[in-house]
Amino acid sequence: MKKTGIIVAIVAVVAVIALWGIGVNNKLVTADENVQKAWSQVENVYKRRMDLIPQLVATVQGAADFEKSTLTEVTNARAGVENTKVDPSQLSEEQIKAYQKAQDQLGKAVANTIKVTVERYPELTATAGFRDLQVQLEGTENRITVERGKFNEAVQGYNTMLRRFPNSIIAGIAGFQKKGYFTAPEEASEPVKVEFNF
Amino acid sequence: MLRTAKHIVILLTWVLVSSAICAQWLPEKTNRLVNDYSGILTESQRNTLEQRLVAFNDSTSNQILVVITPTLGGDDENAVAQRIGQTWGVGQQEFDNGVVILIKSKIPDEDWGAVAISTGYGVEGALPDLFCKRIIDDHMLSPLGDGDYYRALTAALDIIEPVLAGEYSYAQYRKDERRKGLIALGVFVLFIVVVIVVLGIYVKKHPDSWNHTGSNLGGSGGAFIGGFSSGRSGGGFSGGGFGGFGGGSFGGGGASGRF
Repeated sequence: MKKTGIIVAIVAVVAVIALWGIGVNNKLVTADENVQKAWSQVENVYKRRMDLIPQLVATVQGAADFEKSTLTEVTNARAGVENTKVDPSQLSEEQIKAYQKAQDQLGKAVANTIKVTVERYPELTATAGFRDLQVQLEGTENRITVERGKFNEAVQGYNTMLRRFPNSIIAGIAGFQKKGYFTAPEEASEPVKVEFNF
Repeated sequence: MLRTAKHIVILLTWVLVSSAICAQWLPEKTNRLVNDYSGILTESQRNTLEQRLVAFNDSTSNQILVVITPTLGGDDENAVAQRIGQTWGVGQQEFDNGVVILIKSKIPDEDWGAVAISTGYGVEGALPDLFCKRIIDDHMLSPLGDGDYYRALTAALDIIEPVLAGEYSYAQYRKDERRKGLIALGVFVLFIVVVIVVLGIYVKKHPDSWNHTGSNLGGSGGAFIGGFSSGRSGGGFSGGGFGGFGGGSFGGGGASGRF
């Protein structure tokens, strides 16, 4: 009789621990889903900018003798972004870092193209096509800032949950990994700001 | 003179408040759709706009928030407009159909003003960035330059309201709400049926344990009903004044201009 009592107690304890572990695991899964959802939004807005690049190139190419080096910069940066692949199920610190580096380079190249155009080709900036493009690029940069911020928030929630004891035990068993943040880029250029002075 | 002094006091307060809460500047949340922190609109203008926007919210579920502020806390007008929309939760949560019109008024020390229209995720299609830019450039900047903020706002609303009204109708909103209610009711009925069936099987197998089990299951059923009804009584839709912000999300869509 005493023996069965002990067995029942052990089974109960194991069951409680298992239930708790499942609960933690499910919470982590939800947080992970949130991060991936935020990530897909980040990719959406960056893709939006990528889609505007051919339009930008076509518009400024119209100007005779447009500085070739500026356009080469944009084309190279665009290729750089295309070569940076991120696995949405991982989003490790290295991946995010590499992705951000490529995207920031492209942002800088785009901003530079606009700047050169405004400074040297005033007849171009007067066209409706260029103005519309500027508005769309500005809207895209705004969206990038917002979605990066939301992604960082989601990652913060996930990472905090992951690293807090005793959740970290379950996270270790289930194989959940820490995820990376977007950082404010070093040299002055916070989310690249396109200048608009017309 | 008194007006200038008032402006300076307001500005100082804002600066203090904003430095206290770091870079993420945000005006304090109210439960109104027209918020004039600069004191530029007359009382009747403010009331007219408020009534118009409340009526628009009641009939279409679209929420348009107007904010006039003497400062942006050193931030960009687009960023501030987006942050207000997101944090205050302008628009309904399931549609993200909110719009924020933010005007940074000219003040004695800064001879520049700015206006931004920020669109919730759900209305980016109805109000693309280019459209917002057109509204600002063609209909708002000139009256704003003349100092006629009210005319600028009504001109913008005259364009925005019909567009939004076509995108989401109140009928659609109510239909979805009704459907959600029906689903919840269905789940509830299913739950009751399952409880009765399980209870029946149990009692059949253990005829002597009826009293004990019955009281237990009754208890958990009661708890469920409690949770159910409190869930339903959430977001109400009021007829009179503004019923409150709906929790919409903003992704940085929209445009801005300076005057």
